[in-house]
Amino acid sequence: MTEMQDAILAVRGLKVDFSTPDGTVEAVKGIDLDVRSGETLAVVGESGSGKSQTMMGIMGLLANNGTVTGSALYRGQELVGLPPKALNRVRGSKITMIFQEPMTSLDPLYTIGRQIAEPIVHHRGGTFKGARKRVLELLELVGIPEAQRRIDSYPHELSGGQRQRVMIAMALANEPDILIADEPTTALDVTIQAQILDLLKALQTRFGMAIVLITHDLGIVKHFAERVAVMRRGEVVEQGTTADIFERPEADYTRMLLEAEPSGHKAPPPDNAPIILEGRNVGVDYTIPGGLFRGASTAFRAVDGVSLRLRQGQTIGIVGESGSGKSTLGRALLRLLPSSGYYRFGSTDISGFDRGAMRPLRRQLQLVFQDPYGSLSPRRTVGEIITEGLHVHEPDLSRADRDRRAIAALKEVGLDPASRNRYPHEFSGGQRQRIAIARAIILKPKVVILDEPTSALDRSVQGQVIALLRDLQEKHGLSYIFISHDLSVVKAMSDYVIVMKNGRIVEEGETDAIFKAPREPYTKTLIGAAFNV
Amino acid sequence: MISFILRRLASAVPTLFIVVTLSFFLMRFAPGGPFNLERPLPPSTMENLMRTYHLDQPLWRQYVHYLSNAVTGDFGPSYIYHDNNVAQLIGKGLPYSMELGFYALLLAVVGGVITGTIAALKQNSFLDFAVMSVSTIGVTVPNFVVGPVLTLIFAIMLAWLPAGGWGDGSLRFLILPMIALALPQLAVFARLTRGSMIEALHTDHIRTAKAYGLPSRAVVVTHAMRGAMLPVVSYLAPCAAALLTGSAVVETIFTIPGVGRYFVLGAINRDYTLVMGTVILIAIFVILFNLLVDILYGLLDPRVRHD
Repeated sequence: MTEMQDAILAVRGLKVDFSTPDGTVEAVKGIDLDVRSGETLAVVGESGSGKSQTMMGIMGLLANNGTVTGSALYRGQELVGLPPKALNRVRGSKITMIFQEPMTSLDPLYTIGRQIAEPIVHHRGGTFKGARKRVLELLELVGIPEAQRRIDSYPHELSGGQRQRVMIAMALANEPDILIADEPTTALDVTIQAQILDLLKALQTRFGMAIVLITHDLGIVKHFAERVAVMRRGEVVEQGTTADIFERPEADYTRMLLEAEPSGHKAPPPDNAPIILEGRNVGVDYTIPGGLFRGASTAFRAVDGVSLRLRQGQTIGIVGESGSGKSTLGRALLRLLPSSGYYRFGSTDISGFDRGAMRPLRRQLQLVFQDPYGSLSPRRTVGEIITEGLHVHEPDLSRADRDRRAIAALKEVGLDPASRNRYPHEFSGGQRQRIAIARAIILKPKVVILDEPTSALDRSVQGQVIALLRDLQEKHGLSYIFISHDLSVVKAMSDYVIVMKNGRIVEEGETDAIFKAPREPYTKTLIGAAFNV
Repeated sequence: MISFILRRLASAVPTLFIVVTLSFFLMRFAPGGPFNLERPLPPSTMENLMRTYHLDQPLWRQYVHYLSNAVTGDFGPSYIYHDNNVAQLIGKGLPYSMELGFYALLLAVVGGVITGTIAALKQNSFLDFAVMSVSTIGVTVPNFVVGPVLTLIFAIMLAWLPAGGWGDGSLRFLILPMIALALPQLAVFARLTRGSMIEALHTDHIRTAKAYGLPSRAVVVTHAMRGAMLPVVSYLAPCAAALLTGSAVVETIFTIPGVGRYFVLGAINRDYTLVMGTVILIAIFVILFNLLVDILYGLLDPRVRHD
């Protein structure tokens, strides 16, 4: 048997172009791919590599300004250029898709039962009522508890993981040949991610469909796929079995990707290092306000009795899933929101400090956020953004001095000093995060709280930002609190780890101890669910 | 649901009270009065009139007097239309205004949603461009221009339709004022629909619907349209209240015996009670339609269901 006979989807010379006001952008530049019956093919690449657009092109789902050319043969039928009516007989029936955003991929205005029934009714005929039994079966198949009750729920009544299960139910409804999963777990917490991937694998074994897994996460690929295609800038740079790709990568880019997985570890600070920031019995309540007719307000405890000591030169990693209170804790330590407990910065008791009293200390306590797009003002130049803090904390500085400081800060984070006259939208995600770091370090802080600083970045860029943060820490003796849901990054960055769940500390200890010998079941689940640590 | 409606109706009481109080005092602070005519009345006549209508009493007593009568449904006599009290005037005119307004609303919503949807589906095409240009004209050209032009073309030059009046109340008489009244609102609905439809067509769940091979009719009507209607429905409340309570301009041009003109005439003549009556009428309509729209909104969008 030749490869061609095996392939149920044979992609040849596939090109995807987008016409933009600045000319044509070639997103996919004539690639070849084979999907074989019952296999899992991972298409790996960083953002902008064209991995999603390849599948969107084949499925006729490109944006209006996109065109697809070349060939994609599904069991002998050409999909490229197929009229919509004929394509609709394949989409949702023979080839189905699940997407990255379980929050928005379902229509918020219809019950999940109806949405799962829709492809059944459209492809097989019958009524919505008649499809109900099949929908119930599917919901049970994908592990939605109390399917009988859940079938009439709306998407907003389900969690992210449950919505992704609903999408999977929809994808399975017509027993497809190929299931395309476009970053299916990227938006989910690690433990949920593992559950969803396990579910997909189990369903594949049961129904024998092929899965095309589009992802940027090599950890998932290693555990999940049989073959891998690595994409970069619209081209497939390497294709092969998972074992070959991971053990004997041929392309430089593949090697670079594999090396970009966070590595190394940080030594703890000496025992006599002074405590620079301390929070004792930190508590934060969020109140849901009541109203004239709504009844009394209700409180929700986001952080509950957490204590933490940060030494000079130390990095404490705080890990936990969304809603665990880790970001709230970070803000409470900086006295950025109303909270109870005892707080100390250096030798100063700052428990009772209000905004005015905190202001002189702010320059030494800086914060870097996750979203490198949202946290920089789009209408100010990079120079204005990074020197803004100097206006407050060093008002006597002359314009020329400020400019010198800006140049120095940009050089330190590895950016061209000339970029201070440009605007944030001209920079990539990684560069923006460098700008955000420059804004923090220009004030020469003692403590920097890093709230998911690398979560929005590609792995290779992530590695660079981590290296930069380590470098700055060593040079300036900075202390970090590193908040992340990504265990591999936390492992590489911090010497002490705090595991949080529902606002409380589940377990804490030195990084090595936590990762090598976790004591608590929750920590074990968390580490077990992360494929790449 | 019932408790939601009751709560909303309860909260309408203070709103109405504030509206009544504000407009009562604002009106009184405007210079002039109902009997300041071009030729001044003899002082004795003036004094008599003032006494008859209690205008000689201190303002706060007039206010209390008005308020206590208003809650019993007595909105006082009109100072200008001596034969009728305010309730009777509004009671007579309102059915005409409401019928005309209802047809205009229907035309505006149906026409606006259809043209807006077509424009959105053919975004940036000639059709889209044409619809948007016409709707710009609809918004910018005032109805005191549209009205006479319509009359000129269809009533005088082509002589297809009557130029004005209510006649026997048949549709023939209603067509021109209905168009004049509906056009600006139709244009707003078209723009709103186009905008929200374009947005809806780019959402992730529309991509899902397409990826599952749903025919484009199902994608557009079932999935995109329902979401796109939410902003349109929000605008329905102020629009319905405005159209159903009559338009001074359109009713004057087409000599419709509705309530729209009372607002303008009442204000000009300082007919305090008539102005108050129309203010209360409009306020009640706005409150009721906002409530209706909120209920409708809840039916359309499960995320805001009121229970």
